Formats: sequence, C-alpha cells, structure tokens
Amino acid sequence: MFRTRFYAFVGAAALVVLGGLLSPSRAQGQSASSDAAAALFDDTVVHDIRLTISTRDWESLKEHFKENTRYPADLRWRDETVRSIAVRSRGTGSRSGSKPGLKFDINYYTADQRFLGLKNLILRNNTQDASNMRELVSMKFFRHMNVKASRESFARLFVNTAYVGLYTIVEDIDKDFLKKNLDENDGYLYEYDFDEDSRIPYAFEYLGTDPAKYVPMPFKAQTHESDPRGDVIERFIWTINEAGAAAWRQMMSEFLDLTAFMRHLGVENFLAEEDGITGDYGPNNFYLYRFEKKNLFTFLPWDKSNTFWESPEYWIFRNIKDGPEDHRNRLVVRALQYDDLRDAYLNTLLECAASAEEGANAAAADGAAAPGWLEREVGTLYELIKAAARSDTIKPFSNDQFEAAITDLKTFAKERSAAVRRMVADERQR
Amino acid sequence: MLPLLTCLVAALTLGSQPASAADPQAGAQPEAKTEKAKKNEKKPKKEKKAKKKSDKPAPDEGPTATDTDAAPAPAPADQLEPDGKGTRVTWKQHPSFRIGSVFRIDLEAKFQEDVRDTYVGEPDLPRTQLHRNRIGVQGHLFKQIEYEVERELTEKELDAGKTPKSPWKDVNVNLTFVKNAQVKIGKFKIPFGLDQLTGVTHNDFVYRSLGANYLAPARDIGLMVHGSFLKHGFQYWSGVFRHDGDNARSSKIAGGDETFASRATGTPFRALAQGLGEIGLGTAFTVSKLSDDSFRPNGLRGRTIMTQHVFYEPVYVKGARRRWEADVDWTVGPASARAEYTLVSDDRRQQGIGDNDLPNARARSWYVSGTWLLTGEAKARPVKADGEFLQGGWGALEVAARYERLWFDSTGGTDVPFRNPRAETILPAGDRALTLGVSWTLNRFVKVQVNGIREQVEDSERNPVPNGAAFWSRVIRLQFVL
Repeated sequence: MFRTRFYAFVGAAALVVLGGLLSPSRAQGQSASSDAAAALFDDTVVHDIRLTISTRDWESLKEHFKENTRYPADLRWRDETVRSIAVRSRGTGSRSGSKPGLKFDINYYTADQRFLGLKNLILRNNTQDASNMRELVSMKFFRHMNVKASRESFARLFVNTAYVGLYTIVEDIDKDFLKKNLDENDGYLYEYDFDEDSRIPYAFEYLGTDPAKYVPMPFKAQTHESDPRGDVIERFIWTINEAGAAAWRQMMSEFLDLTAFMRHLGVENFLAEEDGITGDYGPNNFYLYRFEKKNLFTFLPWDKSNTFWESPEYWIFRNIKDGPEDHRNRLVVRALQYDDLRDAYLNTLLECAASAEEGANAAAADGAAAPGWLEREVGTLYELIKAAARSDTIKPFSNDQFEAAITDLKTFAKERSAAVRRMVADERQR
Repeated sequence: MLPLLTCLVAALTLGSQPASAADPQAGAQPEAKTEKAKKNEKKPKKEKKAKKKSDKPAPDEGPTATDTDAAPAPAPADQLEPDGKGTRVTWKQHPSFRIGSVFRIDLEAKFQEDVRDTYVGEPDLPRTQLHRNRIGVQGHLFKQIEYEVERELTEKELDAGKTPKSPWKDVNVNLTFVKNAQVKIGKFKIPFGLDQLTGVTHNDFVYRSLGANYLAPARDIGLMVHGSFLKHGFQYWSGVFRHDGDNARSSKIAGGDETFASRATGTPFRALAQGLGEIGLGTAFTVSKLSDDSFRPNGLRGRTIMTQHVFYEPVYVKGARRRWEADVDWTVGPASARAEYTLVSDDRRQQGIGDNDLPNARARSWYVSGTWLLTGEAKARPVKADGEFLQGGWGALEVAARYERLWFDSTGGTDVPFRNPRAETILPAGDRALTLGVSWTLNRFVKVQVNGIREQVEDSERNPVPNGAAFWSRVIRLQFVL
C-alpha cells in the first residue's frame, strides 16, 4: 500500500515538474529573463533615468562636450542601480554643451558589469530635432518593416536629483545587439565614421588597394579592432565600382544581399532621411556588419534624427538622380540600374506607404477619420512626452517650436504615403 | 644604425688609446701637456687617492657630471688645475675649452639605442629605438659658478605624445660660495629617490625601477641648498620647486604645484664596518600642492616598464601630495646591493561622486637589486673596466638582478572597491617585475646592456596580456657616452 502511494506520488511529482518545464508561462519567463532590457525600451512610458555624478564632472562634461572624456557615475532606473559606470559626451552634429548627448559605458571600469544585460546605453539629446521623436519613430518604423534596428524609448534625465531634460534612450549597436538580432556576433562590425572635415564626402568610390584607405576611416572597426580586415572592405568597394556589368550581380552576391539592401534603402527614403545612405552630405549614419566566416555584409540603420525632412514630397530619388555627382552613393546608383533591384526599391516604398497607413479609416463610425499607423504613433508619442518636453528648459527649441514640429510630423505622417505612391507611379511610367 | 656603428667604431678606437692620446689637441698644446705633467708631479698622492683604481675617468664620471645628483658636485676649485693658465682645448674626460682657471666648458653627449621585444599584440612598440640622444655642456665661471645645459634630441616620450616632457633636461647654475651650503638654481632633479637620482648612463639596468619612473618626481625648476659634512659622511639637499617634477605630469595630467623637497644621506657605519664596504643610507620627502583645476584626474599613474601600458589610471585628487622614501646603497668589492621604499599619499578633498571628501589615494613601491662584477673590478657607477676592450682586456662584465613592485590603492574607505577615479575605495592595482641583466662595459665610452624583464600586472582586467598572465620583455641597449 505504501509502495503504491509512493510510486503514485513520485509519478505525480514528475508530471508536475515536466508540465512546469513545458508550460507557456515557463517559456515566457525564460524569454523575459534573456531580455532584461525589454522594459527599459518600453516606449509606452517615459522612463526616469537618474544619474549621480560629481557636480564638477557634470560641468566639465558640458564644458568639454566635444571631447570623449569619461566621468564616473552611478545610474539608477526604477529599482535597478548600477555603480561605477563611465559617462561621456557623444554625437556628431548633435553634440551640445548645454544639453549633451550621453553615452553610458556600463562596463568601462568593470569588464563584466552589465545593466539589464547591456554593456552600453545611449541617451540621445535630440538637439537637431524640435519634435524629439523623429529618431524614435523612425527606428520603430524600421522594425515595423522587419528591418533590424535599435529599440528606443523616452526618458527624463535627472542629474543629482535635478531634472535635466527629455532624452531618447537608444539601444547601442554592439555585440549584444548583433546576437539578439542576427543570432551571431563574432563577425566584423564597423561604424561609418563621417568625415566632417572633408570637403568632398566619401561616396563608396574605390580608393585603391590599400586597406588603410577604408579602415579606420570611414569604416571604424567596433570589433576585431586589432585586425579589422580592411582588405575585405577594399574588395567589396572594388566590386561595387570596378566589376564589369556582366559579372556585377554575381560578384556582389558575395558581399551584399542587394534585395535586403534595397529594402533598407526604401524604408530610409520613405522616411525622407536627409542624412542617411543617400544623404545630402554623402552617405552617413549606418553600421556595416560582416557575418562570421563570410564576406557578406549587411547595413544597419543608425541615427535617424534627420528623417521626416522638409515635406511629404521629399523625392524618393534625392541624391540618387539629382544632387552633386560626388555626393551620390556609388553602390545605390549602380544597384538601381538593375530593373529587379529598382522594383524591389519601389515595392518597398509602396509597402512602407501601406504600413504607414495601417488602420487608417477615412470615415469612422463616429465621423472622425482614424489615422494610420504612422500618424497614430506620432500622436501617441506626443501625448506621452509633451509634459516632459515642455518642462525641458535646456532644449535648444522653444515650446512653440516643439508644437510646430509635432504638427509637421503629423502632416508628414498623414500625407507621405500618398506622395510616395505618386512618385513610384511616376517612376514606373517612365 | 649606420651613425651608431660609426660612433661605436670611433669609441672603440678612442677607448683603445691612452687617455692623453685621446686628447686631439695634445700635440698642438704643449703647454697643456706641461701643465698635466706639473700637476702629476705636484700632487701625486692626492690624484692617486681620488682616482683609486683607474686613472682614466669615464666621460660621464667627471666632477661636474650632470646626470647624477646622488652626491653634491665638488666645488670648481677641486677640479681646477691649480696653476692652469692661458686658453686651451683639451680632451681628457670630455672635449673641453678652458681659459685658465676662469672659465671652462665641456661638451657632453649621451646616446642610448635599444633593440627590444615584448608580448605579442603590442603593435605600438617600436622594435628599435633611439632611446636617448642627449648633448650638453657643463663647466664653470670663475671658481664659484658652475653651470650645465643638457638637451634631449630625440625624446621618445615626446614623440609618443604621452608625456610632454621638455627636451631641456638640466639647465642650471650652482653657486659654491659657501661650500657646505651651495645654491643651485634652474632646472634639475628634485632630490628624491636613490634610483631616480642615479644618472641614466650609470644605471645597473636598462630601465629605472617603477617607483623611480612613476612615483619619484624627477626634474623641475627650482632653487636648492645643498652641501656635505664629515667628508661626505653626511649630505643634504633641500629646495623649493615650481611643480612636482616631470614624472607627475603628462599631456593630460597637470601634476602637483609648489613643492618642497628635502633629502639626506649618510654613511653611519663607515667607521664601524670597514670590511663590509660602504653602506649608504638615505631618506627624502616632498610636499606638493595638488589642485583640481584641470577637469582631468590629477593623480599619479602606473605603467608597465617597457611598453608603458597604463595599468592604473590617475584618480581625482586635491589638497597635498606627500612623498617619502628610504633607501640603502651597499657596495663591497665587486658587488653591490640597493633597496628603496617609496610612499606617496594624495589628498582627495571633495573628490567623491557626491562632492564629498575621500580617503587618500596611496601609491607605494619597493625594489631590491644586486650586482656582481664577474671580471673583478671594484663596483662603481659608472663601472670602470680594469682592462679595456681592444686594449689588452675584454672590458668589465657585470650581472644584475632586481625585483620590484609598484602598487596603488586608497588608505581606507567603507564602500566596495571600484576602479573609477572617484571611487571611495580604490581597487588595488599593481605591477611586479623581475629584471635580470648583463652589462658589458667595453671601455669608458661604450657599454652594452642586455635585460630580460618579467612583469605581472596584479589586476587581470588591466593586464595587457590575456588572462592576467605574466609576460617577458627583452631589450639590448648600446650606450655611447662622450
């Protein structure tokens, strides 16, 4: 009798344990713990980031905002505190002494230290964007279009208890990002380092056989720094420029998935990115990653604070078919000479137009028009941040400029799809 | 390397000649020769006593030698030829121009060229290096005014952009009106640290100890009173300086400000233990003001010996910097031993993340070293070979070993230790090094040194090689001194 009960008990216990292991709740728990930062990138709330730093260091950081000098600090978010991180000023055109863009190097002083699993965290100051939200909305749209991009959310930054301003938390493109998004991270990651001092931008032209012409400028190695393999980039660039027409597609397939690249380009230009792969100042704002044990590269979007540029009529072939010759991206110009790639580009633009209008309803039941996905996002985020943005007294814009920028964004979001469809149709009629 | 080889051949040729023959003006200056003869006749005993084993002083050994401040230079009266008259050019120790006993100027040159290697993955280390190439002049005016000027021609640390040391080394005047209270003004070494005060061409090893390089202050501009008593049985140096030396500064580190320094040495056992050779004891301290005017940390840093890899970044400091050292220097026959302990303590007023006061930052170092002249000469710095190379001998061969440690931490604190420059409790970081060396002094001009250095950075995260492992560095130095 005892033995029977014993076996029954053991059997039941085993079933409970097995059931627990296989249950959906268990799987969700594993997923949550493997992405501890998900809550930080929840863009439905404005987070509070609290920094404790020497007042002297904070003033120095602002005074020397053009330098990358690191200062020690403690960081707190909700109940999570991480001690002894390094804070530095960051950015290119967005660098500011009054409202500095910030990079938190979580593991600078302690190699294995992480904050919610992250080694780095970026707080973008949005000093080039009165609306504060071009960057976040753009990255969200990239992800909406299934293009890998950083997660972002809004935060109020407090330094030694004083409110500093509204910032955008940006997921850095590093090994953690690569692992999460590309399922590997031992390849070669390069940040495109725009040369502000150069009169003529680098536009993917071939500079010769010397790998040093490509690495570290403009392709700055972020991994494998001691052996960045600029020679593979040299061959990639040679192929873009010098390979014969008959073999170009075949040879390029070793280095780039051109269809995927067209998708990246299509999303970027739907968003009217003025400082991107086909930007007004030459190519800019992307990372390049070469996969492990391959010569295959992929582009990753970065810094989209100059999207929603000018008007919904921003031309989809800007700096491709117009603009100074030496600003035109050689890769883009050559790729678009192929009908299938041009179609892929145009189709992506149409897909973006449709996605931006998802959920739109011109005549809703209550009589009010329901906005599409993009317009809804702008409206929702505006409601989320307006109080924090208005009380941000060090932003380089007035509150009226903030409101005007939001209005422009809403207009763009509302009208961009139709404008792009028209431009695509015009192109196909040619 | 061609100029260096040319120098080497010239040096070997010079070294193989008798000292008088090395004087290019000897034949043209019969008066000078006569003076020498007179001098030898007049004071034979004094000369013999002063020069002991060798009558051919090394070029960097002269009584006004610039690169050692370990002992105060004798007054010019001691180095004058008592009946020297007239204008003449001589080359005994250095090429020299003299006007009687009124004026003297000696030309000097020091060249040290290295071939070296270290751990894999140190791409910035030049395998060959013209490490030091210094030229200078020294001499005196009348009997009471000594002067020296020395300039570095190829300052490697300047080239590396790491340490903006001035190419001007010693630029100073020494007034000897009061023999036991001489006054030195200009740029020279702050009197602190036995190893730091030993001249670069006299050192038993290719590189100075870690403490000498990173804790001792080295040169600065100042005014110092110094002298000796009891036949050099007690010596003192005491002075004020504009800053706290080149070693505390870099392109990013402002360094300390006004500094008071004092050093005393003595040979207290000279009368008691004559059979045990000479035992010198020394101690020194400095006090400097430390400001936090620079937005960058103003503390001391720790670097490895050859590669100068930073294993300890400076921390924020403010208040005062206090240094103290004690040293012992023992020489007996062909052997010598040295040991030195150095302590530096920096105030950190209002340097916490919350602008609070922090416990002092502390740096400490010690070394013990020993040398043995296999060829039997009496130990001296510089070594003087009994039988010079290509002059019937093979020069002097010496083996040397040094073990040392340099480490940094804070004097207290209740917080958990961190590496950041405002940590209440500084996570300790140190470097231990063993140096094994052989020095071959071919003649009074040329020396070859071979050193193997094993280092281990104690904080594995700040070790330049993976997994906190120890690493070896190797260096061969060819030294030519004129």
